[in-house]
Amino acid sequence: MKAMTRMIVRKALNSVITLFLVIILNFALFRLMPGNPVNAIVPPDPRIPAEYKQHLIEEYGLDDPLYVQFFTYIKDTLLFRFGDSFADPGTSAMSIVLENLRWTLILAGTSSILMIVIGMAIGMAAAWKRGSLFDSGSLAFTLFFYAMPTFWFSMMLIAIFATGLNWFPDSGALTFGTRPEWTWASFVDLIRHLILPAASLTIGAIGEFAIIMRGSLMDVMTEDYITTARAKGLSERDVMRHHAVPNAMLPMVALIAMTLAFVVGGVFQTEIVFSYPGVGYLTIVATYELNYPILQAAFFLIAVTMIVANFVADLLLVMMDPRVSVV
Amino acid sequence: MTSEVRRRGLSEPTIERLRLLRKKTMATWMIYRQNRMGMIGLVTLLVFILVSVFAPQVMWVLAHIAGWPSVYGPFDEVETIGSGLPPTADHWLGTDFRGNDILARTIYGSRVSLLIGFVASLVSMGLGTAVGLFSGFWGGWRDEVLMRITDVFLVLPWLALMIVFATLLPGGPSVMKVVFVIGITGWSGTARLVRAQVMSLKRRTFIERSRCAGAGDYYVVRKHIFPNVFPLVFANSVLTVALSILSESTLSFIRLGPDPTRVVTWGNMLEDAMTGYAFLNELYLWFMIPGLCIVLVVLSFTLIGYALDEIFNPRLRRR
Repeated sequence: MKAMTRMIVRKALNSVITLFLVIILNFALFRLMPGNPVNAIVPPDPRIPAEYKQHLIEEYGLDDPLYVQFFTYIKDTLLFRFGDSFADPGTSAMSIVLENLRWTLILAGTSSILMIVIGMAIGMAAAWKRGSLFDSGSLAFTLFFYAMPTFWFSMMLIAIFATGLNWFPDSGALTFGTRPEWTWASFVDLIRHLILPAASLTIGAIGEFAIIMRGSLMDVMTEDYITTARAKGLSERDVMRHHAVPNAMLPMVALIAMTLAFVVGGVFQTEIVFSYPGVGYLTIVATYELNYPILQAAFFLIAVTMIVANFVADLLLVMMDPRVSVV
Repeated sequence: MTSEVRRRGLSEPTIERLRLLRKKTMATWMIYRQNRMGMIGLVTLLVFILVSVFAPQVMWVLAHIAGWPSVYGPFDEVETIGSGLPPTADHWLGTDFRGNDILARTIYGSRVSLLIGFVASLVSMGLGTAVGLFSGFWGGWRDEVLMRITDVFLVLPWLALMIVFATLLPGGPSVMKVVFVIGITGWSGTARLVRAQVMSLKRRTFIERSRCAGAGDYYVVRKHIFPNVFPLVFANSVLTVALSILSESTLSFIRLGPDPTRVVTWGNMLEDAMTGYAFLNELYLWFMIPGLCIVLVVLSFTLIGYALDEIFNPRLRRR
């Protein structure tokens, strides 16, 4: 037990160090990027007076020496303050990121649940009926979609179901110009906008879950305790349900934790293609606009989630599998 | 084979080693051959590689069979520049807005796409293996430092990181840059994998035996650790090639790929198709064919990778 506590403390410490490195990198990367952020705030128009540009530079602290900028940055980061977005002055970057996070949670959350459930079901069935037509068929099917570039698959979906058949809208999270409301019509609108991006994400990722579940389950099936369970006279169904599947879940835990992390991180390609206003879409747009506050807030949020998810996955693994704690 | 190498004046131990290597390769091949999915992947990939190597010849043969007015190259303006044209007898997949033949571009495009896949994967594998070996074998504070850096790369969003690196590096978009960006962002998983394997190998008795015989660190790593990690790295790198090809297409999609007027890849063909509103102009093949090529190549690499993994991964071999 003592060894376990020590390991958890060590892992927690490592997480904190990683987070700190991310914070430093966050600062360094965006200062090294070429291009003047002032040009991103102010369009390169000669009619705009130089004094106004100077005022902006001073306001954002872009003329301070780098080390001053660095310490201001560290202080602000620890207080979750990333300054105002360059693109819309007066609005804090963090609030914009959090607003976009809502949509990412809806999109990535829905598709994560779907891909975990469907992927695991396919993996289990494939492992159970190993070598059957279903096994190779489902594997080939899921791998085929897994091999597709996400943006390409998304655009094919748009071409077929939005432009071609006109069943679903092709972009956005709601009909343009409307705000989310607690009405049935608004909800239907949201679902209609959700189906295509969620389908593209889910279908593309099922393969990963199916393959890992199948592999893990087949691994477990060779263990002695499965033979013991069979020898006790349990039906094949009971062996699967009570002995094989719970143990096969171990490798899935890490994968699921990482999937939950990307629920927050946003799903860049899908969000871009569907112009879905989530964190991923926001980050990519911010990269082009050299909108440092937004980028830093988004990177920070994503990194924190990933680190926490990693830590939780490690903890769960230790709690579920006592063998791991030896490492 | 033995007589041939002897003629070249190789020493006895080298010959013995070569013989063993050959035996091991043959044994692996015998297992591999029984994997149906793996074989399908291998055959598909070989077809693509042959077509890419002999791209001009393939175009020549096609042109003569179909009776096209000339043998098209990927940058030849065979039609007027405009919005692109639908498929005809002379241009099976139509032409794009540059007036280039889409079939020629697809066939030539396989060259750089595959090249980027292989080289970028080599870069990330090299980096990952080096970090993993060093970290796992020497351990201590070096391990801590390297693993924290690896963690940073693992927790940052992959696509955003690629974009940042691509904008950070000087110079316009080029093949070299794409390779570098994919390589530098893709090594962390490999480092983790190699490190874990090295840490378990390091405690085995044959390493201890070698140490007792007076072997130094460097010798042990070169002679014992690396050869034992290599199969795993190899199986993993096959999967990385697939990821690198996907990454290239994604980078091109967000306009950070190689310049489409000078280099043709499947990724920047898709970029062109979007710029040229292929769907609005009902030029579906322009968008579908390069994408399908990517899917097939990535799929075949994935199939090969999983087949190799089942052979080389000690955890899976039991089955």
